[in-house]
Amino acid sequence: MLNFKLKRNLLSCALISSCLLSPVYAADWLSLQGTEPESTAPRIKTWGFIQAQYQKDMSDERASTGGYIPPKLIGPNLTSQEQFNVNRARLGARGAGFPLDGKVNYFFLAEFGNNAITAPGGGAARITDASITLNHIKGARIRAGLFKTPGAEEGLQAIHVFDYINFTAVSNQLLLERFPNQQYTANAAPVTLPAPTGLAAFDQPVGAFRDVGIQVFDTFANDDWEHSYAVMMGNGNGLNFGDNDDNKDTYLYWSSEKVFGGEGPRRQGLKLFAWTQTGKRYLDNTNDSTHNPKKYNRDRSGLGAKYVKSALRLSAEYMKGDGMIFVGPDKPTFDINGAGPGGDGSTAEASGWYMDAGYRIPASKWEVDVRYDIYNRLEGDQFEFEFKTLTLGAQYHINKKTRVNMEYADRNIEAVNFASGAGPNAELEGVKGRLAVQLTHIF
Amino acid sequence: MQKLIWLYAAFFYLLGTQFAIAAPATDDKPFAEQKIVLQISDPDPFKQTLVLNVASNLIKHYGQDKVDVEIVAFGPGLRLLFKDNANSPRIDGLSGSGVRFAACENTIAGMTKQLGHAPELHSSATHVSAGVVRIIDLQGQGYKLIKP
Repeated sequence: MLNFKLKRNLLSCALISSCLLSPVYAADWLSLQGTEPESTAPRIKTWGFIQAQYQKDMSDERASTGGYIPPKLIGPNLTSQEQFNVNRARLGARGAGFPLDGKVNYFFLAEFGNNAITAPGGGAARITDASITLNHIKGARIRAGLFKTPGAEEGLQAIHVFDYINFTAVSNQLLLERFPNQQYTANAAPVTLPAPTGLAAFDQPVGAFRDVGIQVFDTFANDDWEHSYAVMMGNGNGLNFGDNDDNKDTYLYWSSEKVFGGEGPRRQGLKLFAWTQTGKRYLDNTNDSTHNPKKYNRDRSGLGAKYVKSALRLSAEYMKGDGMIFVGPDKPTFDINGAGPGGDGSTAEASGWYMDAGYRIPASKWEVDVRYDIYNRLEGDQFEFEFKTLTLGAQYHINKKTRVNMEYADRNIEAVNFASGAGPNAELEGVKGRLAVQLTHIF
Repeated sequence: MQKLIWLYAAFFYLLGTQFAIAAPATDDKPFAEQKIVLQISDPDPFKQTLVLNVASNLIKHYGQDKVDVEIVAFGPGLRLLFKDNANSPRIDGLSGSGVRFAACENTIAGMTKQLGHAPELHSSATHVSAGVVRIIDLQGQGYKLIKP
């Protein structure tokens, strides 16, 4: 007869093993977010995460005017240089509504935190994901609804396992889409603190790397390589459920990964990927009190690589964009103030890249990270800006679901066609470092 | 008399059927020192992993020939034995180590009604008329029941 102790040990071992050896499912982001392991998904699995953070910006005000520009203030409200914030508080559910049919699954997530998803327009909460996936056709899974678009790694990855607090300048400005206000809205001038209202003049949430549409995708294993593809068509209107024009965005994505081991978001491997997004946007950037928007192209593309093995992580990505180049939260119709000559983001080009390295210190709960990113905005324009950021970070993993991120970003922004202290550089030279600390708990 | 013969015939038919689909496979493990039946009837997918882990740990602890393990799946737990279950490779492995898998026919019938077609089961699954009866029968043969 099995004695009680042996039973208890077996069950304990089984419990521990089940944590370590949970069913393997394709570990690419497309599948991790869009599918469930067959015949094991629950009817509903509630989950979410909270991120509480503190940020302090060390930039100087402009000596002559005492004004502050957006890079010197903490978002999303841009009313202060130092703040505590609940940056993200997301609650979601996923699973298979009819568990006997493992071919259909769903994914739902809503944002309750204070960020560029919820702050514009004063919204308290937004649905960020609501999708259904049909897995009936081998090699061509179909996902429909609102979900992350296939694209750059920094945007496509699950944000709660992101190794930094703030995005790179290139991902933040080139890919995290700001939708221009429906009618021409004047640029906001630098503010003095305390500011009654912030400098964020957009009236709609950011795109959050998401769109409403339909995607065909799948992942194929070939020995220790996995190849994934996705083709998506969407409204090109971010988190908004409906379309605001008759144009549809097209998204293409491919990745090939040599899998070294592990599973889930932190699977080890060498991944190579490339992607494109093409679409059109309506923009009213003429200050004539008439609603007369014009149609502009918005094209984005990129490629990159990510290597994760043992304690080491290395990644790099290059991205470029043509049209609808965001030029600041104080410029909600994408052009420089008409009072002076300036670049127009609606037809401009931009590009950037980043390199990142992380190292998990053996036999400890610490991880150190370093990232360098460059973003060239309005390339070839008189008002071309170059953003260079070196971010030094550290993560302390309290447990598998809880960690503290700390980072310091040394920022250098320059209007490359202006002399030191002249034009935009009079403000930009006051941009200094930014300190951020964030506590994340996943449940 | 004719009625009696029919009753006898029906009795032996049922007996035969019972043995055909639920016969103990202890012959496969003549040197088994422990006989264990594991029950999976829970909708929680975590339990699927757990029951497979327990079977695996039993084999590891006693050795393949020294322990006789059968997993009986019924109710929502039958999803473990669906053909495309994400755990199928583990079921293949355990089956290769001599672990048997029993699928409840009552549950299959119920799921067939809900699905509109019979669920496709893993090739290692053996049909038993009723999962709970199978457990009782095995307990009668000296098996110990564990419900992880």
